[in-house]
Amino acid sequence: MNAMDSFIAGIEWIAAGFVGLVAADIFISVMLRYFFSYSIPDGYDFGRLFLGILIFWGIAATSYRGAHITVDLVWESVGPRLKRFIDVFATLVLLLVVTVQTIMLFDKVAQTKAQNVLTYDLQIPTWPFFLVAWLGDVAAVLLIAVRTFRLVFNPKSVNEEHSTAPVE
Amino acid sequence: QDKIINLKISLWVPPTHPLVKSTQEWADSITKASGGTITATVFPAEQLGKAFDHYDMVRDGIADIGYVSPGYQPGRFPVINAAQLPFTVANATGGSAALDSWYRKYAPKEMADTHFCMAFVHDPGALHSTRKKIVLPSDVKGLKVRPAQQTMGELVTTLGGTNVQASAPESRDALERGIADAITFPWNSIFLFGIDKVTKYTLDVPLYTTAYTWTMNKDVYANASAAQKKVLDDHCTTEWAVKLSAPWTEFEHAGRDKMKKAPGHEVVELTPDQVAEWRKAVAPLQASWEKQVAAKGYDPAVVLGDLKKALADKQAAF
Amino acid sequence: MTQNFVAVSGFVLLFALMLLRVPVGMAMGLVGVTGFGLLAGFGPALKLIGQTSMRTVTDYTFGVIPMFLLMGAFVTNSGMSRELFRAANTFIGHLRGGLGLATIAACAGFAAISGSSVATAATFSTVAYPEMRRFNYPQSFAAGTIAAGGTLGAMFPPSTVLVVYGIITEKDISRLFMAGIVPGILAVLMYMVTIMVIGMVRPDMLQVAPKSNWAERVRAIKDVWAPLLLFFFVIGGLYGGLFTPTEAGGVGAGGAFIIGLLRGKLNREKILMSLLQATRTAAAIFTVLIGALIFGYFLTITGTPQKITAFLGDLGLGRYGVLLLILLMYLVLGCLMDAMAMIILTVPIVYPVIVSLGFDPIWFAVIIVMTVELGLIHPPVGMNVFVIKSVVPELTFSKIFRGVAPFIVTDLVRLGLLIAFPIIATWLPSHL
Ligand code: NA
Ligand code: NA
Repeated sequence: MNAMDSFIAGIEWIAAGFVGLVAADIFISVMLRYFFSYSIPDGYDFGRLFLGILIFWGIAATSYRGAHITVDLVWESVGPRLKRFIDVFATLVLLLVVTVQTIMLFDKVAQTKAQNVLTYDLQIPTWPFFLVAWLGDVAAVLLIAVRTFRLVFNPKSVNEEHSTAPVE
Repeated sequence: QDKIINLKISLWVPPTHPLVKSTQEWADSITKASGGTITATVFPAEQLGKAFDHYDMVRDGIADIGYVSPGYQPGRFPVINAAQLPFTVANATGGSAALDSWYRKYAPKEMADTHFCMAFVHDPGALHSTRKKIVLPSDVKGLKVRPAQQTMGELVTTLGGTNVQASAPESRDALERGIADAITFPWNSIFLFGIDKVTKYTLDVPLYTTAYTWTMNKDVYANASAAQKKVLDDHCTTEWAVKLSAPWTEFEHAGRDKMKKAPGHEVVELTPDQVAEWRKAVAPLQASWEKQVAAKGYDPAVVLGDLKKALADKQAAF
Repeated sequence: MTQNFVAVSGFVLLFALMLLRVPVGMAMGLVGVTGFGLLAGFGPALKLIGQTSMRTVTDYTFGVIPMFLLMGAFVTNSGMSRELFRAANTFIGHLRGGLGLATIAACAGFAAISGSSVATAATFSTVAYPEMRRFNYPQSFAAGTIAAGGTLGAMFPPSTVLVVYGIITEKDISRLFMAGIVPGILAVLMYMVTIMVIGMVRPDMLQVAPKSNWAERVRAIKDVWAPLLLFFFVIGGLYGGLFTPTEAGGVGAGGAFIIGLLRGKLNREKILMSLLQATRTAAAIFTVLIGALIFGYFLTITGTPQKITAFLGDLGLGRYGVLLLILLMYLVLGCLMDAMAMIILTVPIVYPVIVSLGFDPIWFAVIIVMTVELGLIHPPVGMNVFVIKSVVPELTFSKIFRGVAPFIVTDLVRLGLLIAFPIIATWLPSHL
């Protein structure tokens, strides 16, 4: 279990690192523009490609922690047995959706490579960035599978953050 | 008895754009010619997907027909980008006819996973700036420019400027805020997006145009009956390429006189010597384009030579 | 299968999945793809997933969301909420109900940095609640004040709800931010009046605290001026033309980071914590954005938005009748889901109606934020209320809702004022 937890922590740090990179990219771009009238080549493309990476790796962590935006009206008002049934159902649907998404995203990455889509200024291929983002979605599938397994066989070990970490 | 086909036609321009109305007329003509067996719904304003994705959307069947800007995806469709080389196309009426007839030969290979319908260009756009008057290529050095497409982006880099990316609606803000100093844009769209409120100078030279295609999903075409195919073929012609884009061409063309008359705007005209200087400055772009095209197995001299010949035939070469 | 049947089934299935606690974004994506598949083929529908997901997460303009979240996280983790509360308290804490007034003032100050009403409520549950209890303020009053004060987070810029509204409707985010300021100030004043009225009616309930001297006041101000200056720089720069919304967020995050470091308030652990918080929330919001886009493409091919616009127009209720109907729908939806999900799900459908009725889209942004924020505090479900309860377990839901009730009345009055006098929202953005 400890190995699993550090794996999840690792995934979150990757996402967190990229949010820092996006912020640094934007902050430094603005400063360079005003003080030195200079733009980082492909600063715009790097910003958005890092954003993609941070979001997919973030979705992996968010899915595992059950921190997605959900409607809890029914869940709040039923007993523990039904609660658990709802949890398992919801996680299975989540697993299905994210798995399909991951497959289709792979298709998108492969096509982007085949199509030779390049960045604006430096003309470097964009597909490697897409690939790193896609790996985040692969991690999401793995983590949701773990979550589902734990929910069914060992419900106590599921990290339930939802009620204390709402979104908006 | 032909099966009824309902075409989803997707555009990424707003509903008020001249192209939307002519698309509807094109679709109505198809419906009439097919005796009502082909109908269409026009979806403007990215209702089915983003501008950048229109080619893929058509290939995948998310839309049946799409308005594609190949230059939006740097590196993917090098051949058609020949039309985007600076100082190549002088006007859109002849330019669209020339582009369409020339690209018909290359489309089946370069856009192999879709059915090519037609291609056209917009009336050549110019370089507009807010504070600094641009006359010579050297004036671009150190400027922040919002380019129309990737070829213009390369031009900016070649001349020592930097690119600022912004969508068309964001462009005015970017110029107003000094995030950009200049923009390449068609003449009348400048007024449509309110950019004229922030620009002062316009360089009056057919600096660039953007090549577009009208692209159809392969299965839609393959599954049509012989009679329906003929109707579609009759609407995917060089004549229709000119006709479909004509209202937009006229619209943009009118912007040139409007700009000349607009108070607080200076339209800069160039002497032949100055034009020659510009041509020299943009030469590296052609070299870079040649490399890309050659890498895909074409002979760049033939490709560009054919285009220039077609343009000359239609009185649209600069 | 007809378009209408598929569309209606889609909505039914969507609500069923959401009630079974399937994440809102995933439910929208699943129904959207299935519906699109039934009407236009499953091949295209599946391709829609990869296309939309990748396009959405790599859209530079959407970067504004994680950036403002990060700015808020840095400031929160630097302990600013406590400092704001202390500063407000030195000035108005000695009045009757003064701790409540200070809570509202501090919430407003915090709102100027945070984009989220839930985050604001969560923060002040830990800061202001114990203080109010120390002076024997009733549990219900203390919790109600924090729940209401929290809603200011989405009203004052920056506001993630307004950002998402701007993204969906393609409206200028800086103008939307400006539109929220005067209604936000109005909210602060009305909340304060509400507290003073409670204090007058029940003087025994709200004790008076000792008055602070000027030395204490100056010391308290020293703690909060830097982050508040950052707010004026970021929002002023956004409106005044120094940068785009995404850049404003990046500059705000960078500035908050530097201020926190210089003041010695951010250590390694707090920096990492801030990055994590911003990431998790951004991922949750983007999931809903992707789902909503896919669901939107499905609705487009069913023609639903046009049909709803036509249907509402044919009811013969007049434009204000339709507006009230829409606001009622939001109040009902507010029983079910949180603000972000509500905005993303409904705005694509409601917005064309509002525009066709001739209402001002900027004004409507403010109206809709007020309405969904009301949903965060009204029973039976209110996200702010849940958050306060999770931070302060001794509270019961009925106590919190009782404490919130006077503020709900105030909010409804304010909503009426905004509808009667749209200029409250539209004046500032049109005069700057
Ligand atoms: Na705020
Ligand atoms: Na509610």
